[in-house]
Amino acid sequence: MRRSTRTLAVLAVSALVLAACGGGSETETTASGETKLTVGVIPIVDTAPIWLGKEKGFFKDEGIDLELTKTTGGAAAVPGVINGEFDFAFGNIVSLMVAQDQGLPLEFVTNGTTTAGESGKDFSGVVVNADSDIKSPADLAGETVSVNNLKNIGDTTIRHVVEADGGDPSKIKFAEVPFPDAPAALENGDVDAAWILEPFLSTAIANGARVVSWNYVETSPELDIAGYFTKTDTVKNKADLVKKFQTAMNKSLEYAQEHPDEVRDIVGTYTEIDEKTRAAMVLPKFTSEFSQPAVQLLGEAAVKFGTLEKQPDLDKLLP
Amino acid sequence: MTATALTPAARKGVFDGPLSGVLGILGFLATWEVVCRTGLIDDRYIPPASTVLVTAIEYFGNPVFWAALGRTLSGWALGLLIAAGAAITVGILIGSSDFLRKATHSTIEFLRPIPSVALIPLAVLVFGTSLNSTLLLVIYASFWQILIQVLYGVGDVDPVADDTARSYRLGLVARVRYLVWPTALPYVMTGLRLGAAVALILAITAELVIGGGGLGELISLAKSGGAIDKLYALILITGLVGVVVNLGMRAIERKTLHWHISVRGETAV
Repeated sequence: MRRSTRTLAVLAVSALVLAACGGGSETETTASGETKLTVGVIPIVDTAPIWLGKEKGFFKDEGIDLELTKTTGGAAAVPGVINGEFDFAFGNIVSLMVAQDQGLPLEFVTNGTTTAGESGKDFSGVVVNADSDIKSPADLAGETVSVNNLKNIGDTTIRHVVEADGGDPSKIKFAEVPFPDAPAALENGDVDAAWILEPFLSTAIANGARVVSWNYVETSPELDIAGYFTKTDTVKNKADLVKKFQTAMNKSLEYAQEHPDEVRDIVGTYTEIDEKTRAAMVLPKFTSEFSQPAVQLLGEAAVKFGTLEKQPDLDKLLP
Repeated sequence: MTATALTPAARKGVFDGPLSGVLGILGFLATWEVVCRTGLIDDRYIPPASTVLVTAIEYFGNPVFWAALGRTLSGWALGLLIAAGAAITVGILIGSSDFLRKATHSTIEFLRPIPSVALIPLAVLVFGTSLNSTLLLVIYASFWQILIQVLYGVGDVDPVADDTARSYRLGLVARVRYLVWPTALPYVMTGLRLGAAVALILAITAELVIGGGGLGELISLAKSGGAIDKLYALILITGLVGVVVNLGMRAIERKTLHWHISVRGETAV
């Protein structure tokens, strides 16, 4: 009996622990005078430059103590920046355009990834089974195409490419399938075509899939895909900090572009992609400059195909 | 136990003991292996059991894995503890009053079926990828499981015993301590065991969907990296963690309820 009373007491007290829950981070300064920054990144190839830049000490050089938190995608990154958990986060351009469309005060501070710029050698493509009747992008009209998220960069660029090829973009049926599951969905015939990125793209091609569209390059060989963003508030009120982050980040992007082997190595430290696939996959282009005309084009396509309500304001969106 | 002694108890030992459990697992693994080896399922999508088992064992030598397991279990334990504390307190309060019981019934029945995963967007918005997100989901899911059991338990108090306690002028605290709590304890333990399983599911789901560390994040990393053997190895390990948690909860239940008829009945012949 005494024991059970004690159990009750312990459990009741633990309810009070609830009160200890709280959150929200403000920029802190560490003992060594460095500014602590938390950046939310998706653990994919595209974010290799920031991991590499951290390892190379580019952020330390600017007095930044960089902490990278893995997120599962834009779903956690945007709220994470809004509620202050992340100072910066990695996100794709269409996601940010959508956020801006909905009135969220977010903007890019640096570029992140850009298409490799060469048809036949890019990190994004729409694949079909080897024996498929789909021969060109226009043939995708009337077929089911898998994308990881609806109303985002995948369906927007695919619709654009299909229209440019003379097909009817409104006839494509998009189905939401995560990238890792898409090759199996394609082989099983659940979808007629699948939009996939590296590392799944080179593996799928090696297994016999055929690419019908290099949707990023075919939209624009200069197309920027994603970047690092923060709150408009931060850009205004912490201009000095943002400047430091931009300097370190741009240095990281340029370094990554010049050292593809180091990119392949660092990817192995924060993903589970095996060495063979890392050696074979096509890397994106890493460049510090956004291509204004390409982003403009993407924005226009997004409005045309209903992803956005109104034309994005690039002056506010880009640094 | 000799082979000739085919008393009911002995037969029970052969067919319901750990041996048959092991046989079941071996049968499952063998079927898995055969299905993959014969090409019934493409081993690029589901690798054979032997490959997955080796990968799973390799994880036990990996400090990253132990750190992830630690995070998952701390989210689970802390969440369960808070849920249990809150559910027991609230349950005894509501259960001891006819008025409160009636007044809260519809509210509880409305809130209880809301799936914890539906709260993920809220958790992300408020807490981001921190442990608090996991806690919110874990607590919400297991709180109702335990609360319902506590309510049943408190409702099960013998009215004669209750009247007796009142005529002996036992105060509220004494009645809870000597009457309500012992009556409710078996129900509480059932609630805890159910809540523990649900809490583990939600802890891993939260990490899988929101990120921020733990076994769930390792699974999501293995998936996004196309490391299929690691993916299945981790899934297998989460199953194992579930079994260990359940065994642990049962042991606690037996220890706490050693005096209760349900437990004594199991050991006495």
